[in-house]
Order: sequence, then structure tokens, then C-alpha cells
Amino acid sequence: MSKVYILGGAQTDFERNWTKEGKNVLALLKEVMSDALCQADVSFSDIEELNKSNRVACFVGNFIAENYINQGHLGALLTEVSPSLYGVPSARYEAACASGSAALDAAITKIKAKEYDLAIVVGWELMKTVDSKVCGDILAKAACYEKEGQGIPFPFPKLFGKLADETISRYRLDEQRYLNNLAQISVINYGNAKRNPLAQTRSWFMDYEQASHRGTETNISIGGKLAISDCSQVTDGAAVVLLASESLIEEFGIENVPYVKGYGHRTAPMLFEKKIHEQPESHYILPWTRQTILDAYNRSGLSVEDIDVFETHDCFTSSEYVAISAFGITEPGHEFEAIENGRIGFEGDKPMNPSGGLIGCGHPVGATGCRMFLDLYKQVRGKANEYQVIKDNEMPKNAIMLNIGGTATTNYVFIVGI
Amino acid sequence: MHKSMMDIHTVTVLGANGSMGRNIAAIFASFGNAKVYLVSRNIEKSIEAKNKAYLSVRAESIKEKMIPSDYTHLEECVKISDVIFEACAEEWNVKADIHRKIADAIGDNGEGKVFCSGTSGLSITKLAELYPSNYRHQFMGIHMFNPPYQMTLCEMIPTIYTENDRSVFESMKKYANKILYRTVVETLDSPAFLGNRIGFYFINNALQMAERFKYSGGIDYIDSILGPFTGRSMPPLITSNFVGLDVHKAIIENLYNNINDYAHDDFALPQFMNVLIDEGKVGKKAGVGLYKTILHENGMKIHQVYDIAHGHYREQIQYAFPFAKDMISFLKVGDYAKAIYVLIENQSIEARLCCEFLLKYIIYSLAKAKELGCDPSAADDVMAAGFHWCPPLALLDAIGSVTDFEKLCEERLEEKIVFAMKNLSLLKEAPKSHYDYRRFMIAK
Repeated sequence: MSKVYILGGAQTDFERNWTKEGKNVLALLKEVMSDALCQADVSFSDIEELNKSNRVACFVGNFIAENYINQGHLGALLTEVSPSLYGVPSARYEAACASGSAALDAAITKIKAKEYDLAIVVGWELMKTVDSKVCGDILAKAACYEKEGQGIPFPFPKLFGKLADETISRYRLDEQRYLNNLAQISVINYGNAKRNPLAQTRSWFMDYEQASHRGTETNISIGGKLAISDCSQVTDGAAVVLLASESLIEEFGIENVPYVKGYGHRTAPMLFEKKIHEQPESHYILPWTRQTILDAYNRSGLSVEDIDVFETHDCFTSSEYVAISAFGITEPGHEFEAIENGRIGFEGDKPMNPSGGLIGCGHPVGATGCRMFLDLYKQVRGKANEYQVIKDNEMPKNAIMLNIGGTATTNYVFIVGI
Repeated sequence: MHKSMMDIHTVTVLGANGSMGRNIAAIFASFGNAKVYLVSRNIEKSIEAKNKAYLSVRAESIKEKMIPSDYTHLEECVKISDVIFEACAEEWNVKADIHRKIADAIGDNGEGKVFCSGTSGLSITKLAELYPSNYRHQFMGIHMFNPPYQMTLCEMIPTIYTENDRSVFESMKKYANKILYRTVVETLDSPAFLGNRIGFYFINNALQMAERFKYSGGIDYIDSILGPFTGRSMPPLITSNFVGLDVHKAIIENLYNNINDYAHDDFALPQFMNVLIDEGKVGKKAGVGLYKTILHENGMKIHQVYDIAHGHYREQIQYAFPFAKDMISFLKVGDYAKAIYVLIENQSIEARLCCEFLLKYIIYSLAKAKELGCDPSAADDVMAAGFHWCPPLALLDAIGSVTDFEKLCEERLEEKIVFAMKNLSLLKEAPKSHYDYRRFMIAK
């Protein structure tokens, strides 16, 4: 199997509300695609040329455009972006909030198998077309809708509130200390977002006082113990990544290109209750998530010691909390140590979400996997500018991401390095 | 924490009962994590301000950092504060009186403190002169836009007294940028500074055009020509109605009386504005102005506009200019170049007027940035962060990507503007914008 290289890509400004701008999905896709091609130094005519010998394909990640914008057949929709994409193989991949990763997975596999030499992976979601309540109901389809979503306002915060409850009881944590740890996670993500010029919340105010006082007028409780400050927000956006085969890298004559070092993909039982009560004996609250990360470490021959940057799926602070041990940064039950002693902060030895993550940077669900992957690329390539992680004057060598769908039902992990 | 950053623990905001004062206090209390004394004429107003201020930054956590006070405690507040921010009514006598009081209160304890005014039009230099000479270099203008949480522009104005010792001014600039997350632009002490100079040039010109084209519809006619598709969140005359016609008049007259550039006549207030102001129809805050909304018996809202030609209000006309329709449909699908192409190619009166407005805006912005001692990108910062308008350099990028911009200006603009453009080498010195024009061009 050959290596899969990353040429670069682009994300849209996650602060933007495309509905307010009066713009549709084509405007979103045209922008992100032209920006990505420009960043990766690939032109539409390059695509046309490669397509003559069937060497290029598109992979689209999107959760649920059928509900948000009444549009399906999203692989084919790309032909509206440019006539250069006429005839280019393209299909849509869906795995709820891990849809972007599902598209990446397909693209990586095709290049590894030498079926194509260039893969254009497009993750996107337009969510601000509906009000927050309707949005919550649409997102509920990422859970087991009939049992976990139907008729329940904002079911996902409630499900991740249950994860918080489970974490407290399983590890016998002091509740206040745990909630304060979650507040710290929120503040780190908001703080990191301030360095990211494309982050949704970059101009927002959040401090520890605000995040640790829940159930107030400006920080209402929304799911069990969780409040608004524990949640990622509804976001519009797209991210595109271009992947290339070894032979294309040679053709282009470029060097020092980051590549995919490993991946993991596991599916846990869909119902949250089954995830918790029908799991194998484990110290980990989300054993399938942990296994996915182990798979990626094994495939890459790396361990947590080798990882310089982490991008995790902080759809809620409670999911970032359990990710800390799932990555192996601490033992399960000791996550608080990494939070309290600053290890996961921007300046820490295991920085998490330098981009701001889902809470800070934003979470256009179908785009998130691609956005994370793009951020891994930026970090190891030294292109993250103000949010570039640098340790001992060196750029990061390896970076890992965890992207989940549903309540950590679909688990995807990628390791990118140089 | 940032090393070598100015330590600001305590701030006093005077005029905290006003919405600007209140919101500025919230910025210091939130991003600055400072204790803020809210000073108003009476303590009740300050308490009211405290109870509202946190909403502007959506965080109750700042509430306990705000301490309501009044002028009887001015001396204590000033003594313990690192920054004393005056945000009172925009009248010389009011402000002068307060700055004299502050100067009295400092005594010998003013070392290192920042004294500032949030004025949008008065002379910063004259205000500085109300302070003892040893403190004058610590005085500056800090002009923010409302609401500051959304509008991050912060114009900072030094004076001649800052020239010898810029240390306090520089520290405050850095603090405003790095800690308060303001888009900081340093400008010379000149009427209306940079943002309002450019913005109100555009808006007043739109008002003048509304008068000139009063038989074509006037106010809503012009607003339909300069709608969101031209790179702004709302049309210019709706903006003016929102700002208040009286405030508009004050800013414009200050400019008209104190500047002398090629755009001098563009700052003349159209007669109908005086008529409306005299009748108290000063805009949204009065419920009536250039526009008004009336509630029909059946609960329907009826949107009316002032008809300049006939001197009464009438229902708004839904103009559908072909050029605007075409531009909007191209913007909707992200075909920006095609939208700009329509703007340039469509030879209707409306399209030509629209294009002329945008070209004039770009040239005037660059000319004023230069005149006020800023680099060209400052013009971008003020218009993006202070008005949410497509910044001039970004618009130049957009237009320049489809046509020869200089040639277009030569064809469309008055000779005096073309002369200024060439004489000042505005285009030669124009860098590529740091802003992306696409997000500013709204498909509406």
C-alpha cells in the first residue's frame, strides 16, 4: 500500500451566516473549493487533465442537507461548482457529525489502493437555515431518533449531560471539581479560538467565571449539568482537503509533504444506554472510542508520546473530558490532572484543539472531520499562523484527531505527520 | 498573560448611563477583567447601567466587577483608577466641565494613568489642554463604535502633547488591541476622525442624491441602489435613520465647517433633513425619521418612507432595478466576478450611480487614510470594524479583478477626484486588502 499525502486545503470563515448573507450552498462550495485549490496549488485545468485518465475523484461529507436545505445527491451537486468537475467521480458519505471523516476514509482508501491519484474531500453543512429548536430536532437524527430524540427539545445536550453524569459516577469524581474542569475546557477552547481568524467565536467573550456559573440568564442550563458554555454552537461552513498519491507528488515535484500515518474507525452501539451498559469490561467510559484511537496508534506505529497536537471532538465539554484519557494523555479517571496542570492548554505539552475545537472554532457538522484534518495538516506543515503550536522551536511532527458521530457512536481517528 | 502589558485593574467610566458608556464599561470588565466604576449624574442611573451592561457582552460574570457610583465620588474613583474614560454627552461644555473635574481630582496622583474621551467629534488636543501640562501626554481620544461588542473598531487619537512621550499612549494601544480585542486604528486629531469621515461622506452623499432624485422616489430609491448587495449590512439611509438625524447633522456640520478637501460640498446637509429634525422626526429613536413603521389595525406592519418631493410619508416602493436583481442573483450563487461585471457593464442611471458611489468611496477612503497619517489598510479597518461595510481595499480587489480600476474611475468620476487619485498616487500605494470582500457582499 502506498502513502497518502496531503496537498492542503481551506475552510470557510465559520463566523459567517450564509442565510443572512442570502447565499446558497453553491456559493459556499464555490468559495471553499476555489480557496482550497489555490492553497494546494492545484488548478481546475489540472483536474480536467487528471480526469482524462480517470485519476481524480471527489468525496463529499455532509450529514443532513436534505433537512437543512432540501438538497440531496450531494456528490453530483459539485458539478454545479465548475464544469471542470463534469465527469469526475463524486459521491456523498454520511456518518452524522463524522461525515467528513467518512469521506476522508473513502478518499484515503482509494488513493492507497492506487485507484486515483488526486482526491478532493469536501465537508460541509449549512445549519443556520432553521431556528435552534428545529436544528436540535434535525440533529437528533444522529441518535436513535425514535428512542432518544423524538419529542425531546435539544436531545443532544441531554445525552452528553448523561455522559457527564456517567463520568462523575464511574470515576467517583467530586461533582463541583468535575464541572469546574468542564468550565476550564470551555475557556481553553474559547481562548484558542481567539488566535484563529476563521473561528466562529473569535470575537466572543468567555471567562472561567461565566463558564463555571451555570443556570444563569446568560448561561442557561441545557442538558442535565451542562449549560450553553459547555456546548458547541450551530455553525455554517465548509472545509476542503486535497489528498494525493505518491506518484502525483513526484509528478508535481514537491517535497516535505505531510501524509496520513494511521487511522481508526469503530462503531459503538447506537443507543447511549447500550453504549454504557452493554460495553465490555473497561476502565474507559467510551471503550470503542478508546479502541479506535489504539487502532490508529497501532497502524501508525506511534503512541501518545509521539503526538504533538490533538484535535478532538468537543461537541460538548463532557466529550472532550473523556477524550483526554481515550487519547492516553492520562489514565482513565485522571483526566482532571491534564486540565488542572495545563497540559492540554495551548502552551501545554499535549495541546488540545489549538484551533478552538468545536466549541471555539465551530461545528458545521458535516464539515468538522475535514476541518480537523485540515488543522492537523496546517500544524505539521507549520501553516497555522497565529495558532501554530511550536515546541522547543520545532514544528509539530505528528498530530491526531478524533471525530465522532452521534453519542460517540461512529468513531474516526486520523494521524497526520511529516 | 501578555508580558510587558499595561496593568489595568481599575477603570472609571463617566457617563456610564448612556448606552455607549455602559457598553464600553462592559468591554473593560469582560475582556479587560477590570473593576469598573460606573459614574453618572445619580447612583440610580448607574445601578440601571450595571443591570444592563452585562447583556451587551452576554456574560453575567462581569456584573460583580461593576460598581455603580456618582459624581460625588469622582475624586475617589479617579484616585484608584488606572483608566478614566469620559463618555458623556457630545457637547464641549459638558465634557470640558468633567475633564476639569478629573484634572482637579488627580492632584499629584496622576502618574501613569490614562485619561481619555470617547468623543466622536470634539478636539482631543483642546481637551488635553484642560489637564496640567505634566499629564497631557497621558490624555488621548479613544473612539469606539456602538455596540462595541459587535463593532470592534477603536480609533485612538494622540495629540501634540503625546509627541514627546508616547509611552502611555503606546501601552494603551497595545492593551486595547491585545487585551480588549479592539481593531485599533491610530488617527490624527481631525474632525470626526477616520471612520466617520468616510462613512458620513458616503451617507450624506446618499442623502444629497435622495434629494436630487426626489422625483424618482428619493430616499427609498437611493437605498435600493445602495443596498446590501453593494457591500453593507444595511442601506445607507436606513443606517442614518438608525444613527439619528440629529446626530448625523452634528457630525456633518462639524465636518462641513472644519474641513477643506475636494469633498467639502458633499458634507452639506440637504434641506429636507433640517425640516425633519425641526419637526422632531429624528429617526428610529423617535419612531419616525427618514422611515417609519406603522402598525395597521389588523396587526400588519406598514413600512413607510418620507417622500421628499411631496413632504409626507408614503408606503415604501419595492424597486426592482435590473442591475440590482442581476447582481443579487449572481451573489446568491457565489459568482462575485459576474456580479461586479454587471455593476460595470449595466448603463442604467441606477447602475451608474451605484458604481460611481462605490468608486468615490474607495478613492475618498484612501485619500483620507493618507491625510490622517494612516496606512491604506487603516481605511479598511475602520470601515469593516466600525460600519460592517465592505472595506475600500477589499472592494478595490473585487472591482480590480474584473476591470482596469483606474480607467473606470477616469471614465466615471469627476475630474477633481481623478486628480486626487493620481496626484496622491492612491492606487499605486494601495496594498491588497487583509479582508475578504465576499463576506461583505450580501445577496439582498
